[in-house]
Amino acid sequence: MDVSNILAEQAQRNNDKSTEIETESTLDVDAGSITVTDSNPIDSETYNQNLESHLLSIARIGTQALFNSLFSLPSVSSPDGPLAQLPSPTTHLPRAKPLPKPKPPTKWEMFAKAKGIQGKSKEKRTKRVWDEEKQEWVNKWGWKGKNKETEEQWITEVPMGADLDHDPRKIARDERKDRVAKNKKQQESNLARAQKALTSSDRESRKTELERTLSMSRTSTASMGKFDRKLEGEKKLKGVKRKFDPAEGDVAAEAKASLDLLAKMNSDARKTRITQAQRPNKKPHLGAPPPSLTGYISSQSQEQPKIPEKRKSLMCAKRFDSLAKDGAVFPWAGKVTGANQWAKDDKSIS
Amino acid sequence: MLRTVKPKNARSKRALDAREPKEIEDGRIAIFVKGTKTSELLNGVMKDLMALKKPFAISFSKKNDIHPLAAVNAVSSYSSTSKVAESSISSLEFWASKNDASLFLLSQTSKKRPDNLTFIRMFNGRVLDIVEFGAENWVGIDQIKGPKSSPGHPPLLHFASELFTTHPRYIQIKSMLMSFFTGSTAMTTEDGGNGGLSLKGLEGECVVSVSVAPTPPTLNNATDSSSSPTTLPKIHLRTYITSVSSTSGSSRSPRLELTPMGPSIDFVLRRYTNPDPELLKQAMRRPKVKKAEIESGLGKKRKNLEVDQMGDLRGRVHVGRQDLGKLQTRKMKGLKKGMFDEGDGDDDGDEDGDSEEENEGVKKKPKLTQD
Repeated sequence: MDVSNILAEQAQRNNDKSTEIETESTLDVDAGSITVTDSNPIDSETYNQNLESHLLSIARIGTQALFNSLFSLPSVSSPDGPLAQLPSPTTHLPRAKPLPKPKPPTKWEMFAKAKGIQGKSKEKRTKRVWDEEKQEWVNKWGWKGKNKETEEQWITEVPMGADLDHDPRKIARDERKDRVAKNKKQQESNLARAQKALTSSDRESRKTELERTLSMSRTSTASMGKFDRKLEGEKKLKGVKRKFDPAEGDVAAEAKASLDLLAKMNSDARKTRITQAQRPNKKPHLGAPPPSLTGYISSQSQEQPKIPEKRKSLMCAKRFDSLAKDGAVFPWAGKVTGANQWAKDDKSIS
Repeated sequence: MLRTVKPKNARSKRALDAREPKEIEDGRIAIFVKGTKTSELLNGVMKDLMALKKPFAISFSKKNDIHPLAAVNAVSSYSSTSKVAESSISSLEFWASKNDASLFLLSQTSKKRPDNLTFIRMFNGRVLDIVEFGAENWVGIDQIKGPKSSPGHPPLLHFASELFTTHPRYIQIKSMLMSFFTGSTAMTTEDGGNGGLSLKGLEGECVVSVSVAPTPPTLNNATDSSSSPTTLPKIHLRTYITSVSSTSGSSRSPRLELTPMGPSIDFVLRRYTNPDPELLKQAMRRPKVKKAEIESGLGKKRKNLEVDQMGDLRGRVHVGRQDLGKLQTRKMKGLKKGMFDEGDGDDDGDEDGDSEEENEGVKKKPKLTQD
């Protein structure tokens, strides 16, 4: 009796029952959009042999991989069985509509933000309030609204010495109508402001851009616009005016500015710009060699004792400018020098 | 922007608000349009695809004289601006705005292009891209006996071929078919949706499997993508229904079996247009990740961490700004603080400790000589 056939059949059946897939690594499962992409090339042999069974078999393998990943996702229980929590899709599809624009803030919202007022957000606000007399929740406004209480109660109090035609109901109603009208007016002005901001900001940026282009084109001739024909009523081009701090100023602020400058020079951004020729271990008063003679510098630096790292920055700062050489970077404490002005200039350059 | 149509009552206001752009979009609504002449096969294909797309499907019963690809020749470059194409596209955009739809399926048969099926995708009321197929070998839902999936569930999608990740035409087709078949993304919890995918509902679910005929060797060799459509292999769209059986193994997921459900269609690739890059860029914009989601660990940018070439994780640490006021310069006996104070009490500005200490190295030298 040959049992090998039966055994093979059994093994085949067991194999069929399994959820394992051999080619899982080439299957790209996107659980977020419930899609699987099988990037294996199509086997032309099985394709030509039996098309439908070939398609069914690859579809089964792919879908099984999708099932495996869907079932391994975290899930929450619900009345309709477990719900798989899908991740966000990895395949990005074009949207059908653009992203929603943020709502323009109302005047109150802008004011509340400026003042740091934190009220209840619109989502947290409820339309209903608790009525102590009725012992139930009632609407703040609208149908059976609480704001209509005085108008609708069957008896109202009249103050002493009131006019004959004094009608508390009418007064309450008029007040309510006024509030509604005021709110509507505010809403409209908010909408109008948002509309205006939308158009004017665009216009404003366009204007500055135009002015910039015009001024650039005016100075773009060989004579920098000196001999150009002027239009009638054309204004003179205004350059950037330099501003200086007063020569006598706050000493502490001056020292702080110098220190800030020093720290900036010691920073990485500065370091990258210092070339070999500008390294501090070069003697400037010997007559600075051109940067191409780096061999000279290296021979010089070998003879010199190595300067500690911390002093490097100080020396570097000292040589940063001719003004700095005069000790302007480090003003005598309490004395006023031109360093302030120098530091300011440097800021405007950088 | 102020709305041009002002709703007259609360119901129409709600309807208009529902059409406003949303961060998480609902499923795309598809309009099924017939061209001037359609065949029995095309009618069947449209009916079956509509059954799959329901409830996000609208059927136009009348014939329409529209040819959106009239300006496109076989190699998909606009030959000239054609009035026919312009008017067709404007009518498509009109229908899209009226019905709040963003997909069209147009059927049209002609001598030159028999059984033509055109997928049109819209963005913001404008045509984004168009893909055209020739439909063949259609077997309808009714012709296949067996259980059918319940409508309303977005089907599982399966794409098989390396071309769907390599070839631009097939990438576009995959994107188009995914737009057509996938529903809302509201099921994904991380995107802010609060639902989930019912695992029980996966039994008896529809699977749309899109496969391609074997890649011809010319496609593998040629680096350019401008090969003529005749050489591009066919696409086989098959639909199956899932049935699950309990597993023998320890795995959580059940063993899956598929049975053909229908429809099954073969598609031959025909004309197409690529999306306008500017429009596509706008369409691919994604909402910012919310603060609460960042706190829960999603979309967090891993800063200052990188994997180097050896595969080691390397971090960068910020050590703060160096205070040069406390810089230790050359130590000299004469510069000791105590000595200095005793030595010249009448000197200028020793009190200014911060700047004084830092300036030592430079300014002390002349000072000592002065003394």
